[in-house]
Amino acid sequence: MPRRRRLHLTLLCLLALGTGSVPRFGAAAPEQRGDEVDAVLAAAAADRHACLRCHAMTTLAYRNPEDGAIVDLSIDRRGLSHSVHGNLACIDCHRRSYRRYPHPERPAPEEFDCIGCHRDDGDDLARDWGHIDAEFQRSVHAVSDDPGAAGFSCHSCHDPHRFRTAEVGEPVTQIVRDHNAVCLSCHEGLIAPHRGSHGWLPNRDAHWEAVRCVDCHTPGALHASHEILAAEESARNCVGCHSTDRTLLARLYQFQSEEDIARRGLIAKAVFNEAYVIGMSRDPVLDRLSLIILGLVFLLLTAHGIGRYLAHRAHGRA
Amino acid sequence: MTSLYLYPLWLRVWHWANAVLFLALILSGVSMHYSGTDWLMPFATARVVHNTAGILLTIGWIGFVVANARTDNGRHYHLKLRGLIGQLIAQTRYYAYGIFRLEPHPFHVSETMKFNALQQLSYLGVMYGLMPVLILSGWAFLYSVYLPETLFGFGSLWVVAMTHTVVSYLLALFLLVHLYIITTGETVFANLLAMITGRHHEDDGPSTPRENP
Repeated sequence: MPRRRRLHLTLLCLLALGTGSVPRFGAAAPEQRGDEVDAVLAAAAADRHACLRCHAMTTLAYRNPEDGAIVDLSIDRRGLSHSVHGNLACIDCHRRSYRRYPHPERPAPEEFDCIGCHRDDGDDLARDWGHIDAEFQRSVHAVSDDPGAAGFSCHSCHDPHRFRTAEVGEPVTQIVRDHNAVCLSCHEGLIAPHRGSHGWLPNRDAHWEAVRCVDCHTPGALHASHEILAAEESARNCVGCHSTDRTLLARLYQFQSEEDIARRGLIAKAVFNEAYVIGMSRDPVLDRLSLIILGLVFLLLTAHGIGRYLAHRAHGRA
Repeated sequence: MTSLYLYPLWLRVWHWANAVLFLALILSGVSMHYSGTDWLMPFATARVVHNTAGILLTIGWIGFVVANARTDNGRHYHLKLRGLIGQLIAQTRYYAYGIFRLEPHPFHVSETMKFNALQQLSYLGVMYGLMPVLILSGWAFLYSVYLPETLFGFGSLWVVAMTHTVVSYLLALFLLVHLYIITTGETVFANLLAMITGRHHEDDGPSTPRENP
């Protein structure tokens, strides 16, 4: 990891923790640390600004002389600022040779992968990055012989200039749309009406609006698994979701619960529990049976009460 | 007519607090369970009301168990097996038949035993059986991320959700029966008033009080 990047991450961590505990972080006063963080952020912002002067232009592209393909070089300024990498300087990831303009004609090839920077971030995740890498290595994207899957990397799905995690409170339909947009950026042809894809799926369009592709195309037990399954291995069993062991609801609830606890803490979670998914405690047979029993008992008690009243009245007359 | 002080102040406060919490939990629980129906609480409100009432119900239940262990009130929950079957039959026969013939109540309240056999069994089942399961399943629902992935071969979240729902229906059933049964005292409102004033007025009838072990 480049020294400067390590410094950025360290300072950002300090900023995020923000405890102000002087002994914990050494002798520097909080104000001084704040100033250092501000200086790093300002330098990164200046670096981004310089690069985006050209790269924010939506038409910035060139034609690759080797295969004639258009290579898009534009960066969405807003998308970058909202992304998880929005505070980094461009040269934190891109080689320093890009610092000057014109850029070198043949810069050294770059190898970006998430693990290279994030290997030590394990504590922030339910599973560490090594697991994610292992899942990816088993995924159809990694093992497929299809020429379209050649050179597949994290960035094929996670655009580092736009990537951000879904947040608690975002409408689920929006989360589903955003997730599926990643898959559809390559697989859009698959869902074209004439392809008849997913034709076996009842209410196919409703599923596509409400369910993420990865919910069926990853193994059921884990959420956010990176082991994307081949079509023939993906979930086709309706009962996997629409049954007593409703994997999808449980996955959604557990995912939001973890976010809830991380965001609000254990005690506030007990009061607010934003994760609750409507329908997760429902079972049509159980509900119907219970309401019938409650109704019958109510009728029985009413009849009992009327019987007592009539008995008292008859006794009074006698 | 004998006047017995059966319900001390702490017990009455706990009882009515429990009653309010039960109603809040049923209303908010139904609002979450059948969310989307117009006449129910808004979902976001129901969620906070349900969780808050659940926390208070837990505190109340722990207080009840501790108070029962430390005061005389606990003796009413000691089950005496000898003669129990006969008392259950007599009590059931009374509710099913004798009450319509205006027969005297087969059980007389005393300071050593305020519950008839049916009451004692149902209160024992509710307070020491259903309530802890309801409370534990409620908390397990909130902190399900710390549960194992499966319980008894099923997804643990489903087990927790269904347990909570089944026990809720059973307790709603108990509440319904409880509200009716309290009208079967000496007068329709006698038992209700006793839980307000703490005093139970008892006719000096011929039947024998149930003894406490």
